[in-house]
Amino acid sequence: MKRLVPLLAALAFALPAAAREWNVDMTRSTLGFTATYQGEAFDGRFERFGAKIAYDPADLAHAKFDVSVDLASADTQNAERDQMLPGADFFDVAKFPRARFVSTGFRRAADGTVLADGILTLRGVSRPLTLTVKFTPAAAGAALDVGASLRRLDFGVGGGDWADTSVIANAVTVKAHLALTPAGG
Amino acid sequence: MPLRSSDARWGALAQFFHWTVALLIVAQGAIGLAMVAMAPTVAKVKVYALHKSIGLTVLALALLRLAWRAADRRPADPPAMPRRQALAARAVHAALYVLILAIPLSGWLFNSAANFPLSWFGLVHVPSLTGGADPALKAFARAAHETLFWILVAVLAAHVGAALKHHYVDRDAVLARMLPWRTRRRPVPSGDSAR
Repeated sequence: MKRLVPLLAALAFALPAAAREWNVDMTRSTLGFTATYQGEAFDGRFERFGAKIAYDPADLAHAKFDVSVDLASADTQNAERDQMLPGADFFDVAKFPRARFVSTGFRRAADGTVLADGILTLRGVSRPLTLTVKFTPAAAGAALDVGASLRRLDFGVGGGDWADTSVIANAVTVKAHLALTPAGG
Repeated sequence: MPLRSSDARWGALAQFFHWTVALLIVAQGAIGLAMVAMAPTVAKVKVYALHKSIGLTVLALALLRLAWRAADRRPADPPAMPRRQALAARAVHAALYVLILAIPLSGWLFNSAANFPLSWFGLVHVPSLTGGADPALKAFARAAHETLFWILVAVLAAHVGAALKHHYVDRDAVLARMLPWRTRRRPVPSGDSAR
């Protein structure tokens, strides 16, 4: 019995440690992408997405990102393009309304950059994706800037005719800026 | 054929501009009317890109042509031509110059306001006139592009009709002097069978 107390104490010490959780202030947060159409870069953004963020730069082992994106909310400032994006050739939102990124682990690269490994599920295809993570503490919260590069054809975005990379390049970069506020505080 | 125009004949450069732009206008009209009916495929994107590239070419040629016109002389009107006919011809020519500038420009504006990229045959990037999407301007430019095209069709009908009338009814040299090959209706002192 006397041994149980330190054991419980040790256990209590080891257990907690879900890294710090944050709320995302959606009014000040953006999630978008840059793609290339006919040799010219264009930007798009998703008007609707959700993110669950647990992050403490001093405790990467317990960090967690879970981001879900409403693909029908893509806006690229081009009416014709925005009409096509939700269609079967591109995001196919009728079958796959959301994309989701769930982190599986965080690490620090040689140059100090924090990388978030995870799985991106887009258009029914799940593939590993690594995000660069930049965490900037601010007065009342923090800013989180993440970026990633992916190949749209890995996920079948723009299939058939639209696989022609001379019209739409394969490489797409994704960028998000999240304004974090302390959770429950 | 001399490069410069003479009193009797258009020079090689004026003819080059005239016939190249004429050919491109016919091609543009046909491509433009066909492409808007296409299903949204990659082929459509490529046909639009071609239409835009040809349109930019027309714009550039029109500017060069106007510059050359300022430097070059123009053949004299046929002596028998009534004054109001000469004025009508001037008006039609002025309208054609305005249209071959305004139609490509309205297309460029339409493309810019729709926020599509623009390049000349994939070789030269052409900047946007609006710096981003502008739905109201897009609707205006689209209407302008289409309306101006139909006005061009009407003015061209007058231009071509008048040229044919000069050739076959008045039997003067107005059409022949713009043709790269010699024709029967060179100004000859007498007779009309100088084939």
